[in-house]
Amino acid sequence: MKENKMDKEEMIIREMMLSERKKAPENLKFRIMQQIETEKALTPQQSKPRKRSGTLLGEMGAIFGSMYAVLAAMIMGAYLLEGTDFLLSPRFIATVVLVASVFSLFWLMTRFDAYLRGKRK
Amino acid sequence: MNENQRVQQVLSGNTSAFAYFVDAYQDMAITIAYRICGNMQDAEDVVQESYVKAYRNMHSFRAESKFSTWLYRIVYNTAITHSKTRMWTGIQETEIENAFDLGENRMEIDLDEMDRKAVVSDLLQKMPQGDALLLTLYYMEDNPVKEIAQITGLNEPNVKVKLFRARKLFKEILEENYRLEDVRYS
Repeated sequence: MKENKMDKEEMIIREMMLSERKKAPENLKFRIMQQIETEKALTPQQSKPRKRSGTLLGEMGAIFGSMYAVLAAMIMGAYLLEGTDFLLSPRFIATVVLVASVFSLFWLMTRFDAYLRGKRK
Repeated sequence: MNENQRVQQVLSGNTSAFAYFVDAYQDMAITIAYRICGNMQDAEDVVQESYVKAYRNMHSFRAESKFSTWLYRIVYNTAITHSKTRMWTGIQETEIENAFDLGENRMEIDLDEMDRKAVVSDLLQKMPQGDALLLTLYYMEDNPVKEIAQITGLNEPNVKVKLFRARKLFKEILEENYRLEDVRYS
């Protein structure tokens, strides 16, 4: 009997309390989401660290790719202007070696620079 | 989709997934904030700040507790800081006496003219803030004592005792100020 009365009282209190539940205003959700979106937009995105191996291959590809392109253009020009004999002449071979050496030296300098930067970090 | 999956979505950068949590819990969040701050304007600011804090600290949410419990804890702390309120100062006899004194004039008021909402609002205003908050958490959300303890930072036996006293005080103020039958059947 006593338990019944207590349960009934509990039920009454619960019903009364539920009627007092506040309702959030319509624009509150918009305000919250807008602030979150704004903060997200203003937060600087962390840049992913570049992979070393990717950088190494990229550098090699760029430098030696350019070298082969220059050599191909030289060979094509020499062939069209001077003929096959000139391609086998020591003068032309020396020019090719010189161009290849310049690009190789440039690549070595790039690697050395990368090594020094890495060491400084 | 359960809440943990939604949390993972938010963590992976999907901001719009957070809207679910705003929709689901903003009413209770504002009710808690209102109980502590005492006015809707501050309660709205507190809830907005709390949700932004929750978003920023989403990575620290552990699925050991419910998301709602974690969020309400943030709302509770933010509201306390915002209003500089001391919640658990203990019930003083003078406070209770004052509560009765304030209601004495209303003894004559015919409750048929007042809706239940206004009665409860009036009663909760007369109660100490902490007690009103405990009743809110216990009855509105069906939060078990354990979760109320997590939200308020009190220990479980303390919550039980305070809840018992709050319930008793609520009934006393109700009976002292209104005819209970009118409240029941209005």
